[in-house]
Amino acid sequence: MKTYHDIATDGGSDVVGQVGDQMERLRARLSQVDHVVAITSGKGGVGKSMMTVLLATAAARLGLRVGILDADLNGTSQVRMTGVQRGAERTVDGILPAETADGVRVMSIDLFLRAEEPVRWKTTADGPSHSWRGLVEMGALREMLSDTDWGSLDLLLIDLPPGSDKLPGLVELVEDLDAAVLVTIPSQLSKYVVRKSVRNVLDAMDGRPVALIENMHGFECPTCGTHHDLFPTGDRDSLADINGLTRIGSIPFDPRIGEHVDEGAAFPVDESTPAGRAIMEAATALAGLLALDVERGPSKPANTNGHTS
Amino acid sequence: MKFLCVECDEQMKLMGTKGPDRGSMTVLFECASCGKQTAMLTNSMETQMVSSLGVSIGGRTSKPEPMEMLRSSLITEDGDGAAPAPESAPAPEADRASSGDGASKCPFTGMVNEAMTSGDLEWTDEARERMERIPSFVRPMVQRGIENHARAKGLTRIDRGVLEAVRKDMGM
Repeated sequence: MKTYHDIATDGGSDVVGQVGDQMERLRARLSQVDHVVAITSGKGGVGKSMMTVLLATAAARLGLRVGILDADLNGTSQVRMTGVQRGAERTVDGILPAETADGVRVMSIDLFLRAEEPVRWKTTADGPSHSWRGLVEMGALREMLSDTDWGSLDLLLIDLPPGSDKLPGLVELVEDLDAAVLVTIPSQLSKYVVRKSVRNVLDAMDGRPVALIENMHGFECPTCGTHHDLFPTGDRDSLADINGLTRIGSIPFDPRIGEHVDEGAAFPVDESTPAGRAIMEAATALAGLLALDVERGPSKPANTNGHTS
Repeated sequence: MKFLCVECDEQMKLMGTKGPDRGSMTVLFECASCGKQTAMLTNSMETQMVSSLGVSIGGRTSKPEPMEMLRSSLITEDGDGAAPAPESAPAPEADRASSGDGASKCPFTGMVNEAMTSGDLEWTDEARERMERIPSFVRPMVQRGIENHARAKGLTRIDRGVLEAVRKDMGM
């Protein structure tokens, strides 16, 4: 009697072939993207999504063509923070991403929803959703990557949900993931979580660069310019040294960042504020890590073109 | 998953699908050698798992729509998985359809190869009996041809008259 392996096809559906076609479609789409970078964190509340927006804006002002994929399906924030228009338009080549004033292209499941509408999935399954929800969400992520008409990009930032456990799934999906950026804050608790999770991140990235950005690195008094720490400094520097991470920036706290992103307005990512300068430096360092050619100097005009559909 | 006719030691071929009906799919397989048929009946969880993969039972005859699985599975206030209308008019140079285009109400659209399903066509008992006279190894192909003919004519029911018309069209 024949066994499974003696039969070449599945008799009609070719499910394996269809899944292969999905991956081919993804590869073809990402062939137009020079560098894909995952933005991750060991825990929530460190400002990962905000850092994604700021880095993207800074990179655009350095003259790069940049995209953001909001992969945090159950905590979507990029549409709100970037202030892009809701709605997703179809082109001959896929679904158009939204675009910020700086020309950053944004794709999020939130574009398909009205404001404050949660992500919910239709199902016929009677049982608990944990058995299929992960599959649906990974499929949605794959489709947003492969079916967004990104155009040509120098840099695509993928804003992952909090927790380093999300990175391995993305690594499997995006074969040419170039780097990961780990966002943390100087608190002892955050450093503790990072130390626990960094091995998973480094293993998942398997030799590809892993950069560290420290958010909320104190603040500068707007009156006298004195630097104040928000958290005890402790062994901040040893985190990067011990674990082989590449530190690319320490971003001071600036309440105006929160004010801007809450309104969906762009925070001035330029030399006019300490936070702006630090973000530009971090973006420049990330570009260097990826061997992207940018000129650090006065911010270039926003790149709003280079996209055909 | 593959289906084997144990008697003939031959792979069974997918013949058609029905459903989902209350979450259950019926997937019909037939042995090309002896004509024996087996129906795989999925429960709602199994149907959901296949749908979640974004694949089509019976294979695909056309490229999937962009973000097909996402847009058809997402519950929105609009009720059909479509995006809210863009807030600005689209630029004229882009070839754009409305954002609701291609997003089906049914989360399982695209899951079933429409060329394989008979769910939209009713076969009379007489027509079925006449089909039984056709050698089993060509019956699937003949069935597809008849059903394609019926759909092209806008018919929903296949009876003896339809079979005669197909025979006449084929010069038989």
